[in-house]
This record gives sequence, structure tokens and C-alpha cells, in this order.
Amino acid sequence: MESIIEDFSEPRKQSASGIVVLFANSFQKTVRAVALPLVFVVIKTKGTGHLGLILIAVFVSIALVLAVISYLRYRRFTFFLDEEKQEFIINEGIFNKTTLTIQLNKIQQVNINQSLIQQMIGVYSLDIDTAGSEKKEASIKAIDHETATLLKQKLLSRESDSIEETTASFDAEQSTTPIEAPVLKLSTNTLFKIGITSNYGASLLLISGFIFGALQLFKDYTDAFEIEREHISAAITKGFTFVSLCILLVFALIVILTTNIIRTFLKYFKFEMIRQKRSLAISSGLFTKHNTLLKPNKVQLSAFSQNYFQKKLNLLNMKIRQASFDEANTEESKKTDIEIPGCNIAERDEVLKMILGQVPEKGISLKPNYRFIFLQCMIKIVLPVALFIITGLIHQPYRAYFWVMIPYIPLVGTMLYFEFKRHRLYVNEQFIIKRSGIWDVEHEIIEPYKIQAITAKQYFWHKKADVGHLIVHTAAGILHFKYGNYTRIRQLVNYWTYQVECSEKDWM
Amino acid sequence: MLDFTNATLDTNSLPKYEEVSLTALHHKYWNVVLINIAIFLLIIAAGLVTLLILSTGARTYIYIIVSIYLVFAVLLLFFYRLSVKKRGFALREKDIMYRNGIIASSTTIIPFSRIQHIALDEGLFSRIYGLGSLRIFTAGGASGSLHIPGIEIAHAKSIKELLMKQINEAR
Repeated sequence: MESIIEDFSEPRKQSASGIVVLFANSFQKTVRAVALPLVFVVIKTKGTGHLGLILIAVFVSIALVLAVISYLRYRRFTFFLDEEKQEFIINEGIFNKTTLTIQLNKIQQVNINQSLIQQMIGVYSLDIDTAGSEKKEASIKAIDHETATLLKQKLLSRESDSIEETTASFDAEQSTTPIEAPVLKLSTNTLFKIGITSNYGASLLLISGFIFGALQLFKDYTDAFEIEREHISAAITKGFTFVSLCILLVFALIVILTTNIIRTFLKYFKFEMIRQKRSLAISSGLFTKHNTLLKPNKVQLSAFSQNYFQKKLNLLNMKIRQASFDEANTEESKKTDIEIPGCNIAERDEVLKMILGQVPEKGISLKPNYRFIFLQCMIKIVLPVALFIITGLIHQPYRAYFWVMIPYIPLVGTMLYFEFKRHRLYVNEQFIIKRSGIWDVEHEIIEPYKIQAITAKQYFWHKKADVGHLIVHTAAGILHFKYGNYTRIRQLVNYWTYQVECSEKDWM
Repeated sequence: MLDFTNATLDTNSLPKYEEVSLTALHHKYWNVVLINIAIFLLIIAAGLVTLLILSTGARTYIYIIVSIYLVFAVLLLFFYRLSVKKRGFALREKDIMYRNGIIASSTTIIPFSRIQHIALDEGLFSRIYGLGSLRIFTAGGASGSLHIPGIEIAHAKSIKELLMKQINEAR
């Protein structure tokens, strides 16, 4: 190893400028908490004079107290690396001393981030994500980039050393010569393409929320000024000609695309993926820079997806999922998802090769039974249509809307058909790949030795048809294959149990 | 990788999970279920009685309410009986499996090497009959975990010990 070994074995403090960061953070929090009561006080004491003076005094005293607290917190905050015990230790607390001990092999991810304040001062924060049912998250608030990178490498490389000792065979195939050139780099052009072709759903939700908000505002406004709404709504409905509807649609489309593009740029600006020793470093972001270090053997599930437009542009979206221990907290598990918003097939294969050791091939395919589409048709087409017709027969006015069924039935029917067509399971010795989706076609890849549990399920009325369901549980979620041939599913369950129980590889 | 030379594997010669004979839950477990159902039904009955006392309008439907209640109780008993009958578990050399479900029969298999931790619970009523329930957790979260009720406490303890031994060996 290099000369940095001693560096972290002694307890050390954060950068001195950490005081500023700590101060700014607590000041921000306090102001946020105090603002409302303060406004109240100001209104109450209106007219008593000296108001400005009192306010300034209050703010100054708050700031002084916070400054002292920040200084003390800075003084008390130390961290060091215990090489022998393989632990990273953080001491903190002014009155109540807390010692946070993190075992290196429990570290899941180390992130280097920079908020706006930190960017101004020129320091970074280092956050450590740990695996474990008890949630222990550590964060160093002010650290310069060099130290942060070194410490990050230290925290993660130590751990890979210990893995080296236990599973030497697994490491052999992983140890490729370190290359510093980025594996993947997203150009502005690609970001633009991503913005145009993905995340329609999320943006649509955002915009409809916005429109509803605007409508509510409009309503409040007309109520407040007692404008005759009849008048306006009459004008609106009159104006709703076909042409204006088209213009509205085009406008909505433009808004969706713009928000999409802006979001993509904010999140993935300067997206870069670099190979560092045996891990992958990913960095991105326009205002807040986000750095993530990923260990390939910690990956539980990798997925890539593509829709029709993306296919035409040779663009893929990848998701890499690590073990998420906090099932209840979905936001937390989302955070461990690492997304590569855009890459082409060659780049995808490169990334997959790094994570899985090889480019996974699709093995024998399993198709779902036609019952898959049958039940869905019943629930999504026959039932609503029947209900609609019945209500229409009872209540006269609904009959005028019967035409809605004309586009509804073929639309839903086509969607179901595609869902059925794309629902596939591919199995070979090394990989299980599940394909699914209607518009975005997703492939989820897992390695059998990373399976945690398997469930086979069959409804009693499917016994004769030999149809059943398969659920594969992994530490990063489940794979659900529906309406498969049950004899085949049973064979697979036996085969995978055999594989898991024979495997010498560590799943994490 | 060294001992992993499985060129052609006859999947049909692998041990078949579907042919394993399962151990049914302890017969006293039905008593525990009965107590729970009784409590549940009593609470509903109490609610209905207060409704009948307070609202005179509801009293005209007294026969309908009582008959619905009775049908509900019988159905509840019937389905629970069926459900308890359908449940069973088995320990193999390298994994544990549990089957349950009336409408959908589902079998879950957890290899010993994937167990994270095990909990042995003794409920209030279970303890009267000397029963306990085993909960087996994996990293697969709630969906990938097992809950096996109605095992004789001594048996449950020995299973737990066996599993603990297997886990420690696997590590």
C-alpha cells in the first residue's frame, strides 16, 4: 500500500472550515424553526417600538450560541480507522458522547457529496451507507476532496482485502488491471436524447399536479373577486374547439419534454463512470455533485430497459441494485439504486461485464400461459365495460359517453397483448433474466447464487392446466414470473436450490 | 469454481421439493386458532349487540343480522380449519421449506446459507398449549421470510438450534 496508511489510524478532525458548514447547517435549521413563531411575535408586538433592535439582538444571540455549539461540535468530532479490528470509528457529541463504530465489511457505499454551502467553501461531505438491520449512517460534514477520495478508497479497499482472503477464487476473475479512463461518459447530446425519450410518466404526474394547482388557484381567484364563473366557463367551453385542443396538447407535450430535459440535466450532468481497482466510481450532477463508489460483487440485481424511441436511438437505461435492508423505507432502498440513464449496447455490455464477469446470455425461454392474458382481460376490459353498460342502461345520461369504449377496448387490449408477449423468463446456468413491460421493456438479471429464497405458487383451479407462479426473492427485490408451466417451474426451483446450496460464492 | 464442473446436469435427478413429505403443524395449534377466532367473534358480537340496543331501527333486521353473523362464523371456522390443514413444513439437509395457502398453495424454500436470523415466539395462548412459532429471516426482506406457527416448543427450540449451527457452519 501507499504512504497514506498511517493517515487515518490516528483520530483526526474535519477540515477547520467544517465549523462554517456546521454553523450554516444549524443556522439554517434554527431559522426555519424559529421563523414562524417570530413572525407571530412581530405581529403581536406591533407598535411597541424597538422592534428592529429586539430582532437584531435575538438573531445575534442565536448566531452566537450556534457558533459556540458549532465550534464545540467541531472540536469533539473525530474519526479514525482501526486497521486491526477493521473498523471505522467516529466520536461525536458535546454533552453526550457518542461513539459510532462501523465494521468495514458492513459498508455498502461511500458517497462524496457537495451541497451549495460546501461548494462555496470548497469542502465535501463523506457519507457512509452501511448494511445492517439497525440503521447506522455516518457522515463527515467537511473534508477536502483529496482526503475524502483517499478515505473512500481506504474504506472500500480494506474491505475488498478481507474478501480477497476469504474468497480468493471469486476475486481472481474480478481483478482486472486498473484503468483510469472513464468507462462511460454522457455527452450533452446523449443527455438531450435521454430527456426526450424517458420518464414520461413522472413528468406527466408533475405537470398534472401543477395544472390542478393552477385550476384551484383560478377557482379561488374567481371566488375571491366574485366574478361570475358561469361567464368564464362558458367562454372556456366555447373556446374549446378542436384546434385549441390540439394546441393545448402540443403545448403540454412541449412542457413535458422541457421538464424532462431539465430534470435529466440537473441530475445527470457530467455523468461519468470510472473503473477504480475493483470498484466503479460514478459521479454526476449539475448543482449538487454526487459521487458513488460501487462494488460489483455487492450488486444483487442489474436491469436495463428500453422503449420504442430509445431503441431507434440505440439508447438504454440501466439500473443497478444493491442489497436494501430497510424494506419498510422505500426511499432508502431507492437511494441504493444506481441508475445509468443512457448508454448504447456496447457500453451496456461493458458495464455488465464488469459487474457480472461476463455479458449474460439469454438461456432457455419460458413463456407464460394464455391464462395470463385471460384474467387480465376479464379484470381490465370485460368487467369495467359491463359495469359501464349497466350504469348506462339504468341512468340515461351516461349513454352519451358510450363511445369512450371504442378507443378504450383496443387500447387496453393492445397493452395487455404486449404485456403478455413480453413477459418472459430466460434461464441458463449462470443467469436468470426476466423480461417485462409494456412500453419500457425491462430486462432484470440476477445470478442464481444471489437468490435468498424461492416461492412456487399455484391456484387450485390451475392444477389441471399445470400452470403456476414463481417468485424469486433477492436482497434487492423480487422477480415474479406468472402463469408459467408448473412442471418446468418446479424443475427450476429444484435446480436453483441446488445451485444456491452448492455455491461457494458469497452472495454479498 | 474448482469443484463446479456441471457440464450436463440432469435436472430430473435433482432432489425434488414437491416430493418431500411435510410435517403438519401440531394438532394443538388448532386450539390456539380457535381461541383467537372466538375472541374475534366475541368482539364483533359485542359490537352488534350494542348496535341493536342503541338503534331501534336495526332491531327490525335482527334475524338477518344474526343469520349473517352465524354464516360468517361458520365460514371463518371452515376456512381456518382448511388453512391449518394445508400448512406444513419440512427440513432438508440444506434448506427449510414451508407450504401454506388454501386458494393458492405456495411453497417457499430458504437455503440455510441464506438465513440471516431466527426468532422463536411464544404467544400468550400458544404458551398454554406449549407451542411456539418460528420466524426465519433472509436478506430478501419481508417477502423472503418465513413464519411457521404451531410447533411444539421443544421441537421449535431444537430446530432453531440446528439452524443456528448450520448458519455458523456456512459462514
